[in-house]
Amino acid sequence: MESTLISLMHGFGVAFQLDNLWYAFLGCLVGTLVGVLPGIGPLSGISILLPVTFGLNATQAVIMLAGIYYGSQYGGSTTSILMRIPGEASSVMTCIDGNAMAKKGRAGAALCIAAVGSWVAGTFGVIMLTMVAPPLATIALKFGPPEYTALLVLGLIFLAYMSSSSLVRTLLMACIGLLLGMVGIDNMTGHFRYSFDLAELGDGIGIVPVAVGLFGLGEILSTPSHKVVGEVISPKLRELLPNRREWRESIMPIARGSVLGFIIGIIPGSAHIISSFLSYALERRVSKHPEEFGKGAVAGVAGPESANNSASTGAFVPMLALGIPTGPITAVLIGALMVHGVNAGPQLVTEHPDVFWGFVASMYVGNLMLLALNLPLVGLFVTVLRIPYAYLYPLIIMFCIVGVYEVSHSIVDVWIMLIMGVLGYALRKFAFDPAPLVLGLVIAPLLEQSLRQSLIMSNGDYLIFFSRPISLGLLIVCAILLALSALTLVLKQKDWRTKLAEAEAGEELAS
Amino acid sequence: MTLRADHVAGAAFVLFGALVLALSGDLPTGQLSMPGSGFLPKIVATLTIVFGLALMVRARESSPFSEVPWSDGKHAIMVTVVTAAGIYFYTVLGFLITMIAMILALLVIVERRNPLRAVAYGAAIVLFTYVCFAYMLKTPLPEFGY
Repeated sequence: MESTLISLMHGFGVAFQLDNLWYAFLGCLVGTLVGVLPGIGPLSGISILLPVTFGLNATQAVIMLAGIYYGSQYGGSTTSILMRIPGEASSVMTCIDGNAMAKKGRAGAALCIAAVGSWVAGTFGVIMLTMVAPPLATIALKFGPPEYTALLVLGLIFLAYMSSSSLVRTLLMACIGLLLGMVGIDNMTGHFRYSFDLAELGDGIGIVPVAVGLFGLGEILSTPSHKVVGEVISPKLRELLPNRREWRESIMPIARGSVLGFIIGIIPGSAHIISSFLSYALERRVSKHPEEFGKGAVAGVAGPESANNSASTGAFVPMLALGIPTGPITAVLIGALMVHGVNAGPQLVTEHPDVFWGFVASMYVGNLMLLALNLPLVGLFVTVLRIPYAYLYPLIIMFCIVGVYEVSHSIVDVWIMLIMGVLGYALRKFAFDPAPLVLGLVIAPLLEQSLRQSLIMSNGDYLIFFSRPISLGLLIVCAILLALSALTLVLKQKDWRTKLAEAEAGEELAS
Repeated sequence: MTLRADHVAGAAFVLFGALVLALSGDLPTGQLSMPGSGFLPKIVATLTIVFGLALMVRARESSPFSEVPWSDGKHAIMVTVVTAAGIYFYTVLGFLITMIAMILALLVIVERRNPLRAVAYGAAIVLFTYVCFAYMLKTPLPEFGY
C-alpha cells in the first residue's frame, strides 16, 4: 500500500506537468463535445483523433485519449437531459428521467446531479483502479500462453453472455472480427493470409479504419438528418443547483452506481452501456417510489450516470494490468499505446511507471476538470446542439477520412473504413451489435499467438489448458457461462438480459 | 415458409465462412504440435459456418425479411457514393478541393440545403481544419497532385 501511494505521488508529479495538464484538458473538452454530439461516440472520437497523438509521447497520448473516453460519459448526459437524444450510448437511460426533470423546469438540477455523480463515481473508480491494478498486474506476471489463451476465450464468452443480443449473434460477430484480425502476414511462419497481393493488407487490417467505419460512418449511414430533430431545453445558470431534497435523493444512487459500475467495468463487454441499464433497473427496484421512474426521478439520473463513469474507469483495470481489451474502446487505447511503443499489460507498471502512474493520476485531475467544465459551459453545449445534424455529419465524415488516412498514409485504409461503414449499416439493419467484431479484431493476433505457443509448449497436447490451475479456472468459468446460456435455450425462458432489454425497449416506446 | 431476416443473415455468414475456407486452401494447417498459418483461420471459418446455420435454424425468432426497414437506404446509398468519390479524389485533388466538394455534394445533393450557405460553410470548415492540422498540429494533409 505504501509503495502504491509513493508511486501515485510520482504519478501526480507527471500529471501536473504543464503539457500533460493541457492534454488532459484537451481530451476532457473534446470528450465532452463528443459525448454531447449525437452520431459520434467516444470510439469514433478516439479513433479519429489517434493520428493527432503521433507527435506526442506515450503518456500525453494516453492521457488525452482516455480523457476523451471518460469525458464523453459526462457529455452524453447533456444531450440526454436537454434534448432527450442520447449523446452517447451509455446515456440512453438518462434520457428518460433526465429529460422529464428538464420538462419540469429542473434541467439545471439534472445536469448538476449528473455531473457531480459522474465526478464522485469517476474518482471512486480511479481510487479502485489505483488499488486493484498493480496487484492484478503482479498476478498476471505468472500468466503464460495457456493462461492468456484461456483469458482471451473467457473474454469473448463473457462478452457474448453479457450482451443483450443473442449468444449466437455475438459469437458470429466475434468470429468475423477474429477472421479480419488474421488478415496479413503470419508472424510465426511468414505466410501472407488473405492479402490478395496488396502490400497494405500485408500488415493486416488496422483497428482504426474498422472502428471508425463501423461506429462512425455506419451510424451516419443509418441516420438520415430528418430523424435527428429535437427541442433543446436551455437551462439558466442560476437554476443549476439541485435543492436539498434532490441532493438527498441522489446520494445512495450515486454510491450504488459507483460500486456497480466499477465491478461491471472490469468485466469484458460494453461495460459503460450495460452498467447504466443495470443501475437504472437496480434503482427502480430498491426505490420506495418506483412509480416516479420515467417521470423525473432523481435516482433515474444519478444512478446510471454514476455507473457509466465508474464502469469506464473499471474498464482500464484489465487493459492496463493484463493488456486485455474488454471492449472496442479499450482495444483502440491499447492500439494507441502500441503505436507509441508501449505494450499494455503486467509489465507496464514496472517498465513504464511514468505512463501508468501518470495516466492514473491524470484521471483524478481529469475528473475535476470535467466537473468544472460541464456546468459553466452548458450554454456552449446548448449552442453546439442547435447546429442542425445535416451540417454536422459531413464534418464528421471529413474527420473520419482525414483521421484514418493520417494513421499510415494509406488510402487502402480509408477504403476499408468505407466498406466497414457499409457493413456497419447492414449489421444494424439485421440487429447485430458490431462491438464484438472490433474486440475479435484486436485479440485475434494475441489469441492465435498464445494458442499456438501453448500447443508448441505441450507438443500438441490440449490438456495443457486443463493441467495449469489458472487456465483451468478460467475455462471452468467459460463452461459455466455457456451452460447458463444453453439453459435458457433449453428451458425456453427469457433470462435476465433479455428481460432487461425488453423492459428498456418498452420504456423507450412508452416514453 | 416466410423468409426471415435471420435466414438472410445466416446464409450470408455461411457463405462468408465457406469463402474463407476456400481462400485458405493453400495455407498449411500444420500439426497440433506445430500449428500452421491456416490452423486458426480454418477453425474460426468453420465456427462461422456453424453459427450461421444455427442462426438460420432459429430464424423464426426474427422478424420477416420484408419488414426490415430500408427507408433510410436511399440516404445511405447517396452518402456512400459521395464519400467514395471523396476518397477516390482525396490523394488526386488534395484535401482542400476534395473536402469542399464532398461537403458541398452532401449538403446540396443529399440534404438539399441552400447552395450558397453550403459553399460558405464548407469552405470555412475545411479551411479551418486545414489550418489546424497543417500549422497547429503539424500534420501535413494531401495537396493537389499528391
